[in-house]
Amino acid sequence: MDAIFVFEQLLNGLGYGLMLFLIAAGLTLVFGIMDTMNLAHGSLYMAGAYVAARVHEASASFALAVAVAVAVTVAVAAVLEFLVIRRLYRRDHLVQVLATFGIILIADDAVKAIWGVAPLLASTPAALAGPVQLFEGLPYPSYRLLLIGAGLAVALGLYLLVNNTRVGMLVRAGASNRQMAEFMGVRVGAVFAFVFALGAGLAALAGALMAPISSVQIGMGEAILIPALVVIVIGGIGSVRGAFVAALLVGLVDTAGRAFLPPALRAVLPPSVAADLGPALAGIAMYVLMAAVLTLKPAGLFPARG
Amino acid sequence: MHERFPGLARRLPWLVLALLAAFPLFAPAFGLEYYVGFVRRVLIVAIAATSLNFILGYGGMAALGHAGFIGVGAYTVVALVEAGFSSAWLAWGGAAAVAGLAAAAIGAVSLRTRGVYFIMITLAFAQMLYYLAVSLRTWGGDDGYGIYTPLEMGVWLDGAHAQVFYWVVLAIAALVFALFSRVAHSRYGQALRGIRDNETRMVALGYPVYRLKLAGFVAAGAVAGLAGGLLASHNAFVSPGMMHWTQSALLLVMVMLGGLGRRWGAPLGVALWLTLEEALKMHTDYWHWPLGVLLLLVVFHAPQGVAALLERRAGKEAAR
Amino acid sequence: MSLFRAEGLVKRFGGLLATDHVDLAVEAGEIHALIGPNGAGKSTLVNLISGLLPADAGRIVLDGIELTALAPHQRSRHGLARCFQITSVFRNDSVRDNLLLAVQAHAGSSFRCLARRDAEHALQQRAEALAQRVGLTEVLERNAGTLAHGVQKRLDVALALASQPKLLLLDEPMAGMGPEDSQQMIELIRSLRRETAILLIEHDMDAVFQLADRISVLVYGKVLTSGDAAHVKGHPEVQSVYLGTEAAA
Repeated sequence: MDAIFVFEQLLNGLGYGLMLFLIAAGLTLVFGIMDTMNLAHGSLYMAGAYVAARVHEASASFALAVAVAVAVTVAVAAVLEFLVIRRLYRRDHLVQVLATFGIILIADDAVKAIWGVAPLLASTPAALAGPVQLFEGLPYPSYRLLLIGAGLAVALGLYLLVNNTRVGMLVRAGASNRQMAEFMGVRVGAVFAFVFALGAGLAALAGALMAPISSVQIGMGEAILIPALVVIVIGGIGSVRGAFVAALLVGLVDTAGRAFLPPALRAVLPPSVAADLGPALAGIAMYVLMAAVLTLKPAGLFPARG
Repeated sequence: MHERFPGLARRLPWLVLALLAAFPLFAPAFGLEYYVGFVRRVLIVAIAATSLNFILGYGGMAALGHAGFIGVGAYTVVALVEAGFSSAWLAWGGAAAVAGLAAAAIGAVSLRTRGVYFIMITLAFAQMLYYLAVSLRTWGGDDGYGIYTPLEMGVWLDGAHAQVFYWVVLAIAALVFALFSRVAHSRYGQALRGIRDNETRMVALGYPVYRLKLAGFVAAGAVAGLAGGLLASHNAFVSPGMMHWTQSALLLVMVMLGGLGRRWGAPLGVALWLTLEEALKMHTDYWHWPLGVLLLLVVFHAPQGVAALLERRAGKEAAR
Repeated sequence: MSLFRAEGLVKRFGGLLATDHVDLAVEAGEIHALIGPNGAGKSTLVNLISGLLPADAGRIVLDGIELTALAPHQRSRHGLARCFQITSVFRNDSVRDNLLLAVQAHAGSSFRCLARRDAEHALQQRAEALAQRVGLTEVLERNAGTLAHGVQKRLDVALALASQPKLLLLDEPMAGMGPEDSQQMIELIRSLRRETAILLIEHDMDAVFQLADRISVLVYGKVLTSGDAAHVKGHPEVQSVYLGTEAAA
């Protein structure tokens, strides 16, 4: 285990963390502002991945694929919001779990009907297929650098949107005190719809970007949902800044756990024990992190409400 | 229902029980042998769902990790089989005990949080158990673990194994259901309901709220573990997939479909859901979406669940 | 020796000193009123005494037993009961079930889980006696949430009385009541003094002067002065700080 390997893993963790942030940002806003637990958020991520993979294959243009994926997913999300989600805002969390679990079931079958059961193999854009020599002795896949760059750019854009625009002000007002925002005459319905669509767009973007380096298959939404929920709980529900910090933390802890824990355990434990224990500990690292954070700060790192 | 039709309400459960008990006897005559196994599975899942309905519906504890306890129970059976034990009673008792211990540890931490954070932390613990099972290669890891020799239930119970096992499961399910129904009306059940409705007031009234909740959580965990042990025998197979978060969500969905905090909610929800699933699977590969639509219909048209719907129907007819 | 003593209670919220070294004593059989302008920290003090908020410093003693380190439910077991400013009853249950739940907390274990609770005659009798005590017999089978505000408030008091407390904390029992309900509540509180000492937080000055044996004035988290009605009325600082602001508001 040398410095270069460590550095490479840290970059991988950063990339994964940024993608988690894209998914978690929408989830935390929807949760914080509408007080709505949306399990189907992962399905929007899945939709983005499938559409991007297919359009990329058909058109050979990755940029077009990403754009179409985001547009299609936002359109689907708008319909979903209009038909279902907006009727859930004032219901209790369990009812929201019930309804959005129903949406997951419908979404998984819809994907199966359109694209089949077999996982899709999404290819990396040809221009970014090779590695980049970051410095002497560290070639790094250029596509993963794109992920990091895109993630950081979107995070910055979101930061500016939330902090420096009128829409952002309304969003923040809604997150910190919904009732007050309503009293002040904010058109909450429109803000909610906007936030939901925005969150869907970000999730779709993450799906489109992740498609080439993960397997595009039914169930990928359910798999990514839980880490995303862990992120928003660690960050503090409703806080975009919290989601950002927590996403990077979770990305790094998860990646580092998988990369460093098994060899570290092999060094101190008998091989048979280490072989069992290593992956287990790596798998649960982020949950331990969450439990630890909640023990110290029960409302997450950056509570959005006082 | 039970107030408006006192006679029916008293007789119906016994009638259902009698029909269920007789089912394996007349099933072969109608070519329904396959469904003996199916009903057995429904009964086992109903045991787990009943325990979830108890802490969620009566206790207000929205645990999204109940499948974790089912898994702990199932893997306890694996551990005992692996260690050379072959008694079914020991295996199932062990499953309940170990799951109860796990619930005590997990509950002790989780019950200090509230609301969404409680949902999330119970989910997190179940995920930890899931990853633990995935990585334990001695017990099959990701591939699961097959139990090739059926567990022994006792000298004269082992003859026609499948049928006897069915009756054993039925007896346990009936017992568990009767027990929880009874507890619901006891001092403990009333206190639990008070905590669900107004926790601060219960604290001020002098109730040891935390210990009361923990006791319920442990009992529910142990019963879920028992169901897990039975499920291990039923499938002759155990895999980490039993503990996946979607299984926990599914259990919660079935309870809510049936009617949260209603006596018949859990068994009704489980029976309805699994029957629909089974029926849809026979006709189409696309059997998820109708169930999804059903959930949306329940959310918007019968938020109290099917049990409440039936109660209202019974009420209307009585009024006529 | 006083029945109840709070000594040097401190509570900070961030930089704000909500409770500033408060000393307070309630004698047996006494109604002790706590008054003060909005934001003086009255409700915080009640929460510190009942244990719903942890105190940063100070100690609390009731009838010779130190309660400081005890959880709120344990304080209730040692004879400290409270009502809530925002009526806190079990809205979806009948008045009878409300009372049964309160009585049950102090009569045997609530971990009993097989026998039917409603079949316990002793509990039923005590619940009915309690209903009679506060005038709720007529509405025993009604759902608590459907009762008028004043009646719900009486139920709230009845729930607290079920523990047969040594000290009863009443947090603005007259809040939001019309004159008729207020007068009924005043009668009820007056009749309670035979059974328990009372710490009464109240905005309604008429009620305070009618009921209280002693009055403490809380301003900015500190006890400004303590004494009988005449003393408090005549205290120059009280007039300027408290009555002045009240009159202006």
